[in-house]
Amino acid sequence: MNETVTDIYPVIFALALATFSIRLGGVLLGQRLPQSGRWARGLNALPGCLIISLVSLLVLSGGPREWLAGGIAAAVALLTRSLPLTMAAGIAAIWLLRNFVPI
Amino acid sequence: MDPTRPQDEVPRKLSQKSGDNPPQNFGKNSGKTPARAGGRISADVFRDGGMAPRAEFWLAVRDITPLALGVAIYGLAFGLLAAQATMDALDIGVMGALVFAGSSQIVVVERLVAGAGALSALVAGLALNLRLLLVTASIRDVFAGRPLWQRLLGAHMTTDENWALMLATRARGVKVGYWYLVGGGACLLVTWLASTVCGVIFAAAIPEPKALGMDFAFTAAFIAIARSLWRGRGDLWPWLTSFAVVALAVLGGLLDPSHALVLGGVLGAVVASWNRQEGKQERGQEDGPETGPETGEKAT
Repeated sequence: MNETVTDIYPVIFALALATFSIRLGGVLLGQRLPQSGRWARGLNALPGCLIISLVSLLVLSGGPREWLAGGIAAAVALLTRSLPLTMAAGIAAIWLLRNFVPI
Repeated sequence: MDPTRPQDEVPRKLSQKSGDNPPQNFGKNSGKTPARAGGRISADVFRDGGMAPRAEFWLAVRDITPLALGVAIYGLAFGLLAAQATMDALDIGVMGALVFAGSSQIVVVERLVAGAGALSALVAGLALNLRLLLVTASIRDVFAGRPLWQRLLGAHMTTDENWALMLATRARGVKVGYWYLVGGGACLLVTWLASTVCGVIFAAAIPEPKALGMDFAFTAAFIAIARSLWRGRGDLWPWLTSFAVVALAVLGGLLDPSHALVLGGVLGAVVASWNRQEGKQERGQEDGPETGPETGEKAT
């Protein structure tokens, strides 16, 4: 496993520069898009859609245990609206499912 | 979602350019942020998100603590991986401070450890970061009118976690903005640097996050945040679209996951841009919430 990465710094600098450009590009793009109408509607809906995409990706990339734990976390989120509680429930659910439930 | 409480739809104001929506519905906020639940803030201070910058900054530091714990676990695990790539504490510290996009750092170093070339490792990491373009674009009101250095700082400090937390906090009716974002980002940056450096130094003693179920910490966190971003029935089709795109891509193996993520977000937003109900909500935000633009949607 002890692969020697001789010079990591060019990779670090390239990744840093490109990542910052992406972030700043979003800031500039957002500023230039229209403030009303169709573009604004889309942009207002973007955060929720991105979060849903992220959650879908994270949950679906797993197996039935992850799907079930995701459902449990969603139920806790609906009932409590609490971030820490949902996190605790999700972690506990996946830990129990992985260690004690043969699927 | 939750049809018994139709007034849920009122406090979701993601875009707060006008910033004149009085906070509402504090009562059911699960007690997480009792300090803010007191009541209204006079309209003239909303320009900066409704609070003094310092207060906003520290509020974010407090609110982001559960997410920072998750970041710390990942930082430790990433330090362990970086030690396998013969990176030392300085290398990983420099990388963390300059890049500050954990998942892409993990992917790049993992690719390098697996023997991939520098270029293909970079491409894999950057594909994952494309979503950040949408993330920073989606909170343009936070950056609007800021001096250049604040835009640069804010852009660098934007990550999934503090971005989403800021949106969730706003959705509860708390007026937060730029300094809340930066405060959360600063807390995450310190956590990320400390935990990755510790991970390199104490590599031998670190358990795999998956064995503890900690890999699910962010999945659960984003589920909670998604729930608080629900603005009403106008979100149904956009969200279903995003879900369907990602589900097709992942289960059908059609697309690279990082591309599926971006495509899902964009197509969901495109559907929302066609949506008339969404349009009503938007106008409602500009007019102020008291006009009740959601009345047409309480049919549940």
